[in-house]
Amino acid sequence: MSPNNDPCPETDRLADMADVKFFGALAAAMTHDMKNVLAIINENAGLLGDLAVKSQKKATPIDPLKASTISEKIRKNVTRADHMMKRFNRFSHSMDHAEEFVDMEETVMLVASLSERIIRRHGATLTVIPPPVPCRIHARRFVVLHLIFRALDILCCNHADPASDTQKQMTVRFGSNLTRPEICFTRDPGFMIKRDALFDSPKDRALLAHVKMKVKMMDAGAGFCLCTARPEHG
Amino acid sequence: MGLKILLVDDEQEFVETLSERLQMRDMDSHAVFDGKTALAQVQSHPPQVLIIDLKMPGMDGIQVLQQVKQTHPFIQVIVLTGHGSEQDRKTCMDLGAYAYFQKPVDIDQLHTAIRQSLEKTLTDPRDSMGFDRPVDKGFYQP
Repeated sequence: MSPNNDPCPETDRLADMADVKFFGALAAAMTHDMKNVLAIINENAGLLGDLAVKSQKKATPIDPLKASTISEKIRKNVTRADHMMKRFNRFSHSMDHAEEFVDMEETVMLVASLSERIIRRHGATLTVIPPPVPCRIHARRFVVLHLIFRALDILCCNHADPASDTQKQMTVRFGSNLTRPEICFTRDPGFMIKRDALFDSPKDRALLAHVKMKVKMMDAGAGFCLCTARPEHG
Repeated sequence: MGLKILLVDDEQEFVETLSERLQMRDMDSHAVFDGKTALAQVQSHPPQVLIIDLKMPGMDGIQVLQQVKQTHPFIQVIVLTGHGSEQDRKTCMDLGAYAYFQKPVDIDQLHTAIRQSLEKTLTDPRDSMGFDRPVDKGFYQP
């Protein structure tokens, strides 16, 4: 997803590899979610069929309340699947444009909903505190989505056992400077993040370079912030 | 009720509906929503067949499969997952799963697999805890 005229082909190659991996991770989570919703619809439709067979055999009518409850469950899950597909469609179209102004709150919310299963599976919950002022940066939308996903991954998973019983609380908040956008990621009190886990790999550095952002540790390792390396307007 | 089936899946709505459909097919099925509860249930009331999802918060299905096969090797385990990786299927079968299905599953196929897995258990000389079954010598020995 890198521009053809980029003077750093190695950075481009690493960023492209990471982008493909990111797309795969979200597509896998998304299709898993879709399969689960289809399975619920399948079982409820099957249950209606089972009740019809039973009713025919016993010559008794199907309980209308039961039938209506099942029908409502099917309708609810069709809506759920529709929302999932809309989100995935928005994600897929994030590659349509070159650089544009990207709303960071909207982007964080999209990543949060797309990766809900991944976050939940790691025993984490995510709270997004709305920005006090609009937070927008000029970048490729897909790369920004990737960066936010990577930030959540570092915050959620790089420091703890995924099978741990402790519920992890993650919070995303935004800075108040309109021209110097900043997004901060923190974990539950007492959590300490290690500097060497922060966007330290060549792929991470390539990702940051592509959105022209830098990473800043928060006091006492309570979390980290992503800040623009130059003022943003728009 | 007939066969004792334990279903494990964090998708509560799915697993409860599937359990209800198995009950309509004369199976004594019960649903739990995480791996840890499933293992506790296996210890207190070992089922004949365990149906598990793979990707769950906390302890995942592969860990449950591994532990069940260590403590209760003759409980038949059927994997029912939305996650379709070939590597996962291989891992599960290598760990001793009886069958591997992807969601959504056809209830008749699942029902057949449950029945067949039980036949396998019944022809095994050991019970679900791995102990030798007492041989039924009949009630009349001339």
